[in-house]
Amino acid sequence: MIPPLGGCRVARGGTGRGGPARPDNPGSRALAVSCRRRQFVPGRAVVVALCLVAGSLVAVPSFVAGQAGDAGAGKVVYERKCAGCHGDKGDGKGPAAELLAPKPRDFTAGLYKIRTTANKTPTDQDLFRVITEGMPGTSMPPWAVLPEKDRWNLVAYVKTFAADKFKEAPKKLELPKDVAASPESVTRGKEMFEAIECHKCHGTEGRADGPSRAELKDEWGNPIAPANLTKRWTFRGGPGRTEIATRLANGVLGTPMPAFLDSVEKPEDIWHLTNFIVSLGPESPRYATLVQVTATSGAIADDPNADLWKNLTPSSIPLMGQVIVDPRNFNPSIDLVAVRAVYNDKEIAFHLTWDDPTQSVDEPAKKLSGDAISLQFPPQITAGTERPYFLMGDSSDAVYLLRWVNGKGVSEATANGPTKITPIAGSEATGKAVYANGQYRLVIKRPLASKDAARPTFTPAVFTPVAFQAWDGGAGESGTKMSLTSWYYLRLEEPQSNRRFVIPPVVAILTLAVMLLVVRVANRRA
Amino acid sequence: MRKAIGAFLAIALVAGVAAVAHRPGPAGAQGGGTIEAAVTYAGAPVVEKLKVNKDTEKCGTEAVIEKVVVGPNKGLAHAVVSVPGAKGAPKAVKATVDQHGCKFVPHVTAMTPGELELKNSDDILHNIHTYSTANPSINKAQPKFKKVMTEKFEKPEIIKLTCDVHSWMLGWVAVMPNPFFGVTDASGAAKIENVPAGKYTVEVWHETLGKQTKEVEVKAGQTAKVAFEMKK
Repeated sequence: MIPPLGGCRVARGGTGRGGPARPDNPGSRALAVSCRRRQFVPGRAVVVALCLVAGSLVAVPSFVAGQAGDAGAGKVVYERKCAGCHGDKGDGKGPAAELLAPKPRDFTAGLYKIRTTANKTPTDQDLFRVITEGMPGTSMPPWAVLPEKDRWNLVAYVKTFAADKFKEAPKKLELPKDVAASPESVTRGKEMFEAIECHKCHGTEGRADGPSRAELKDEWGNPIAPANLTKRWTFRGGPGRTEIATRLANGVLGTPMPAFLDSVEKPEDIWHLTNFIVSLGPESPRYATLVQVTATSGAIADDPNADLWKNLTPSSIPLMGQVIVDPRNFNPSIDLVAVRAVYNDKEIAFHLTWDDPTQSVDEPAKKLSGDAISLQFPPQITAGTERPYFLMGDSSDAVYLLRWVNGKGVSEATANGPTKITPIAGSEATGKAVYANGQYRLVIKRPLASKDAARPTFTPAVFTPVAFQAWDGGAGESGTKMSLTSWYYLRLEEPQSNRRFVIPPVVAILTLAVMLLVVRVANRRA
Repeated sequence: MRKAIGAFLAIALVAGVAAVAHRPGPAGAQGGGTIEAAVTYAGAPVVEKLKVNKDTEKCGTEAVIEKVVVGPNKGLAHAVVSVPGAKGAPKAVKATVDQHGCKFVPHVTAMTPGELELKNSDDILHNIHTYSTANPSINKAQPKFKKVMTEKFEKPEIIKLTCDVHSWMLGWVAVMPNPFFGVTDASGAAKIENVPAGKYTVEVWHETLGKQTKEVEVKAGQTAKVAFEMKK
């Protein structure tokens, strides 16, 4: 969306218009709209040409005025789609607000997190973007399902809640000149990251585990978590480079995130920092649908930091809050677990990696529970699609759990629902966990075969149902307040025997021998 | 002869006064009086303590949040005493707040509209986060290498100053419409000099104990005393 839009602005002679005090001309919206509609027209030249035409059309002032959103029409949409969270008065106190974190925006304050402006006033395009794309990592969904006109009308209506705040025209933020990503730039970015002490909130490796984390409050006094910089797809204002640079330069209004434009050593450091942040993690999580269990002939390392694990590609599994049984977890802390797994002729081992900004053990005095994670399997792997209830089974069908609790270690259990968990006597599971910089890495091992009906036997080439549950004790999670997945599958790859190294050469040699024989016989006859 | 001396004296006086008037001096210096305010609080000091989990070399291991500081004889520190009704041009004095030992020093700064110099003498990251309505609120990082920052506050208002990195850090900047103000010291005393003679309402503001006002008459060359007893 961004490149054709930018192209349009240039094509229109946008530089003349783009002074620092450029008001958000409704024309620029109309332009953006017309460009986006034509985005699927093949050929960039055609797009540019069309944008040129569109641009010259919308430059006519009367046409521009006609494009502005209608606040009255926006009110109707607002009351239907937005008031549930943001409230009828726009004060962010809708009926759903108490369950949400971060809290819905209070429009009456006129403070907007995501701006491309140097002052407090966002452009209409900024508001339109948030409505359209939502705010990842929060309860604000993308509203692209609404007709575009409705979204513009919403922009107009939302602004009426703080009309005086919009009296000041938006002032475009001028970013320093872009510096492309390179190893040197990333190195400089890391240097600056340390010099300006981003780690105070975002943590040494960017996993939102900095020492100031617990103290952070937003403008309304609500606790607010710093961004996990390794999960760009949760960035409120988008994962792109320009978006990240803008947040760095501008800060995030109403939150503790300050503006850094004047607070880096050189202006281009904003881009070095951006390139460093981008290097911390992928743009999207690339969720897996299947967990592959790799066969190995050697011993399986207990150490979660062993090379064996580093050489395996993890399957990223998304977790959701448990909202079926009370007490529910509307704002889960753990949203992803990366799974690696191997097996040999005796054991199966799972390597789990997940981010948890606070390391906690059971501390009843502080009402804290230990961090925990569990893998869930049916007690017996049967053919067919029937599986126990994914939420830790029920009274008729139990599940088997392979659990780890910080401070208590690994255990096996049978569950008939999330509150009916019975440890299995004589647990054969072992494990080792390490915690560093806001991340757990855990290895859980178990014999491949089971001796009783309460535990499954893992068999190669069989699709085995698996589910995960996780608890961040530091966030007050325990019992049914958890993150969880529905059923996934894991599959133990067939063991690859050494015969593949023997049979093909033998066949080749035999073939060669036969050929030589044929040649010889033919020569003799000749 | 007497007449001659009288005339001479009169001329000398006029000339002297004229000379003084021509010298650029503090506004209202001529014929001004002094207000001495004594602010007291009968209650106990309010101090919150917090265990520090970072930057302990600079911040210490325990942060002390002094919400109400009571000195000897119940004197209340950090109260802003002002004379909103007095007329006088603002002094062109740059006010300064230092972030030192993870505290804003001074805790309360009073200034006339203009520039505020923000220092970071801690050699660690702070962020200046202001809460204001008349002036644009700011949230700017001040990393260790940025020793001084200058911000403008053009409109009279009392602004809260915080640092999100060190949540206990709290300071206040009182932007005053005229130069007639003072901040009480540890004994609860504040002195406002060169106030033009006249009847005024003197106002006192404290961050947790609120506002009080009293009527005062200022006479040229004299000191008017005013006492406030702050209540919760």
